[in-house]
Amino acid sequence: MGDFRFFRPTALEELLDFKAREGGKARILDGGSNVLVYINEGSIAGGTLVDVKSLEAIKGIEERDGRLEIGAGELIADIMDSGLIRKKVPFLREVLQKFANPLVRNMATLAGNIADSSPIGDTVPPLLVLGAEVVAASAKGERVIPLEKFFTGPGQNVLRPEEVILKVRFPVPEEGGGGHVKLGLRRGTSCSVASVAVWVIADKGKVRDIRISLGGVAPTPIRAHKTEDAFKGQSLDWDRIAELSETVMSEIRPITDVRGSADYRKHVSAGLLAKAVRQALGLEESR
Amino acid sequence: MSERDDNGLYDICIKVNDRELRGKVKAETSLLDFLRANNHTEVKRGCDKGDCGACTVIKDGRAILSCITLALQADGSKVYTVKSLGSWEKMHPLQQAFVDYEALQCGFCTPGMLMSAKALLDANPKPTRAEIREAISGNLCRCTGYQKIVDAVEAVARGEYR
Amino acid sequence: MKNKYSVVGTRIAGLDEKDKVLGNVVFAEDFTLPGLIYGKVFRSTRASARIKALDVSKARSLPGVVCVLTAEDVPNNESVKNVVGQTTEVGLLEAEHQVLARERVRYWGEAIALVAAESLDVARDALKLIEVEYEELPAVFDPLEAMKPDAPKIHGNNNVIASWKLRKGDVEQGFAQADVIVENTYRTPRQEHAHIEPESGVAWVDDMGVINVRYAAQVIEHYRDIATVLGVPESLVRVIGTLIGGGFGGKEDVTVEVFLALMAWKTGRPVKLTFTREEMGYARHKRHPYVLKYKTGATKEGKLVALEAQIVSDAGAYVYLSPWVLIYSTVHSTGPYLIPNVKVDANSVLTNNIMTSAFRGFGGMQVVAAYEAQMDELAEKLRLDPVALRARNFLKKGDVTASYQEITSEVWLEKCARAVLDALGPKSKGGKTTKVGRGLACAWQSYGRMTYLHDTSNCWVNLEMDGSAVLRTGIPDLGGGQRESVRAIAAEVLGLNVEEIHVISTDSQVTPLSGTVTATRALYMSGNAAKLASENVKKIITDKAAEVLGVAADSLDLKDHRVVVIDDPRKNIPLVEAIKQCHFEGKIPQSLATFRAPFTEPIHSDVIKDPVFPDFTFGAQAAEVEVDVETGEVKVLKWATAYDIGQAINVNRVEGQMEGGVAQGLGFGLMEDYLEVEGVPWTWNFHDYIIPTSKDVPDIKSIVLESGSGKGPFGAKGIGEPAISAAGPAAANAIKDAIGVRITHLPITAERIFFALRGEKG
Repeated sequence: MGDFRFFRPTALEELLDFKAREGGKARILDGGSNVLVYINEGSIAGGTLVDVKSLEAIKGIEERDGRLEIGAGELIADIMDSGLIRKKVPFLREVLQKFANPLVRNMATLAGNIADSSPIGDTVPPLLVLGAEVVAASAKGERVIPLEKFFTGPGQNVLRPEEVILKVRFPVPEEGGGGHVKLGLRRGTSCSVASVAVWVIADKGKVRDIRISLGGVAPTPIRAHKTEDAFKGQSLDWDRIAELSETVMSEIRPITDVRGSADYRKHVSAGLLAKAVRQALGLEESR
Repeated sequence: MSERDDNGLYDICIKVNDRELRGKVKAETSLLDFLRANNHTEVKRGCDKGDCGACTVIKDGRAILSCITLALQADGSKVYTVKSLGSWEKMHPLQQAFVDYEALQCGFCTPGMLMSAKALLDANPKPTRAEIREAISGNLCRCTGYQKIVDAVEAVARGEYR
Repeated sequence: MKNKYSVVGTRIAGLDEKDKVLGNVVFAEDFTLPGLIYGKVFRSTRASARIKALDVSKARSLPGVVCVLTAEDVPNNESVKNVVGQTTEVGLLEAEHQVLARERVRYWGEAIALVAAESLDVARDALKLIEVEYEELPAVFDPLEAMKPDAPKIHGNNNVIASWKLRKGDVEQGFAQADVIVENTYRTPRQEHAHIEPESGVAWVDDMGVINVRYAAQVIEHYRDIATVLGVPESLVRVIGTLIGGGFGGKEDVTVEVFLALMAWKTGRPVKLTFTREEMGYARHKRHPYVLKYKTGATKEGKLVALEAQIVSDAGAYVYLSPWVLIYSTVHSTGPYLIPNVKVDANSVLTNNIMTSAFRGFGGMQVVAAYEAQMDELAEKLRLDPVALRARNFLKKGDVTASYQEITSEVWLEKCARAVLDALGPKSKGGKTTKVGRGLACAWQSYGRMTYLHDTSNCWVNLEMDGSAVLRTGIPDLGGGQRESVRAIAAEVLGLNVEEIHVISTDSQVTPLSGTVTATRALYMSGNAAKLASENVKKIITDKAAEVLGVAADSLDLKDHRVVVIDDPRKNIPLVEAIKQCHFEGKIPQSLATFRAPFTEPIHSDVIKDPVFPDFTFGAQAAEVEVDVETGEVKVLKWATAYDIGQAINVNRVEGQMEGGVAQGLGFGLMEDYLEVEGVPWTWNFHDYIIPTSKDVPDIKSIVLESGSGKGPFGAKGIGEPAISAAGPAAANAIKDAIGVRITHLPITAERIFFALRGEKG
């Protein structure tokens, strides 16, 4: 067992000053759900565990300047219950409904899932297609990081040791629809084998704009820009969607692990993408 | 929020089943370990990783996994375990329903399962069977196949135990 | 069928259940004593290696460490006997086991040393200070490879540690008569018990020098094994079995007890040891993975004419119960069908994989995956209805099996098969990307231990002065309601309410030994023992009451706390009156009874040609599944399960076993596989080894049929193991029905389906 300390700041400046001093040795317990696991495994050996639940500065789900802003300290269960989210982006609620199980949703946060930076972090592909940004803060000030630029490798991101995530924000989606498909090994809580999220803006089946993101098929969650280009301007029906979805196989670099082979991930991604696009266009029920 | 003492411990006070429980813990002590070390062995340890739900308690109105919650995260909170539900003389409707419907066999997952069921009915008094299954999907049971658990919760929701 | 009993055959709310829902039960890890220290096990991180050097000195000198034990410290570390950890008096095989590895480790996770310390933290730190130097040895991980003569040897000079055969008729002639032959090779997974309660216990030496071990034990007779290892008299070791948080065979072989006893005995302190979920993954035995090559022939009328099969099981690194598991597989390999020509060769082979041993179904389960798939394949080729084909071949009462055992009970398989298919109701419709299929699987599974083991069970019942009763039984309760069953049986016989019978159980020095809770023997054996003891007590009462009432003793019955004349209930005396009279004459209403299963001779050749089991339970399951052809994902929509259990003691409990069996069997069929790569564990916790959740199991219809033809109390049969084995195969048959492709490798994961649909081998 390592040498750990505990700190519960009551104001944001307190937290940021602490982070400026301690850097990476101060670990934020957004929901705390993974930290104890890492401690028990021995992958974290010491430092200060920082409980941010009393911080008002990281709470709140608001609409501001055309964006929805979700505080880093908001529990996934509360985001799902938020009237604002239900009204403005019900897609996010559907996505979060599939996240783990109710117990974990009562403990975990979006910011925590993002900071974890797992290649299969389930909230990330949907946030990527929503065009999300991370607002990070340090004692020196704030900066905005587009989520697409946030991850650098499995478990790695661009956050500096003295920074914390303040909020996650994305433009209120004015038009189009979302689709999200998660492939797991059972219906209950499961680590995804792969997941796909899309946001499609189409006029009578002709694609004006599309954003595609995949998790579990590369070292980080990714946007599939090549495939997006292939879809743009196309008139979509069931078969055309299936055809175009195959493009994604060339944009991903999946691995073989305990949950599935690289080959499966590669081929099934096309099917998952097709499903997600059909969902976004209302051609299929949400899964 | 107390200071760390010379032994590396922090003071902690949690209201467990409406009674104050004070103690000293390390920063990394889990809520589960703290509860079990302080006469609350009714909260079970199944995996210590948050994967099985045996350690489920209700903290500040939400059903959570105590094995991956730091005790200090619950400092000042209200925590309820299965012992808050009822007694031999007066069982909670969920407890009586579990017994009547045989919604348990070995009983090891049961304390956690009951707390998830309680949290569900507190938030949603008339859940569908699918909603019941969703609510207990973080609680693994290896004995019952879940059938009678869902039956029992549904029976309470239906008003069979008013 | 109207229930003719007052207590037996009803839905009984158990007293133990009440304690459980209140959170009152003190499970193994919940127990504590003053001065408790904490044990931890140091384990190998090599699958096959020689221990060149082991240095525990740094661990020993860590402040707070009370002891560090290695093989040197164990009085009888090696045992060469039939199978460690079973109540066996007869042996067929010499198999080596070791408590702690001395010179050689044979699987990743094998125990090398024990640490006990003042706190769990110190114990964990001490583990990190143990230094070991390994010299890697050649290893083998594939049982088929391990069978070859030049394969590295795990023990002795032959990796094949058990071989059993069935020989009946002439399969060549049989196949010559066949109009249709189906040949396939099936694979079944290495399944983990995944009981929610980890293995755990506390041991201490009491003031009389008795080594007490209080732990979650399916076999309290392990006190004998502890005594052997420590070199102390058996009379000075006591096992107190706790209510078990799930066993399924996982707490049947030796778990924590020998380690605990060693540490308590060496230190004089009470010690607690609990396995972590990870340890439960990589250090506890699993279900044997099997490779089953089946060739089945039938005439165009659908009569089975021949079966030829080669079966290989992966016995892992130590023998444990592998030979017995193989016997079960061999006897059950034909399925519940009458086949005139049978040639089965079964082998169990050692490898450097995790040990494999007892798991609900015990070898009778893996073969269902083969024989029920074969039946559906035959039905398809013959264009016969799957039920009709099976019904043409089901065993009947009076038939003799391929292992030369006569079926002495009713066989209600056709009833069960039709009942489950009916219960599924109208078939769900598929969609644009989904296909729906239905599958049936029928199975048989023995109950009661192999009869050459000469199983017995004891029970002691006495009536108190006030008419309440105490029942003492050694039987452990692993959640199957073993305690509640004996309570209900005694209540029925003695004319009492269940609340009036106190059951005290599972203590090797206080309760009469009733044998193991394994092999679906508990109801059959301890139930019959409880019935016998209760009937003996009843006889003492009715003999006395007969005198008082001036009638024949056999005209009396015990009903509602009275001794009544059956044909004239107005003639009766209160039970307490009869008890008082008995005491007055020194005829105490108590009885210690022994129930004996049939005793047969040991199997003396590798061709099984003698009865092996007391009886079998027959049943069927049907599943409806939806397969997503774009991903291969399976959604289980509906399920029905039907078993003839002879006579239900507690209907709730019977259904509970059936439903639990569905879930655990569904896991075997669709999602569970304990993976090792080159002997290194990959799926060692609940995160990576996935079992069904409430969202994976559909609503289940349970149909309980009662032929009354069982050998258990009141004509009951066992259900514990029978409940599971047909589930996975039912799902497999449903998937075949949905997608038209037979997948022979269980678990049938989405990935396997995905590639099978695209014509590639998954």
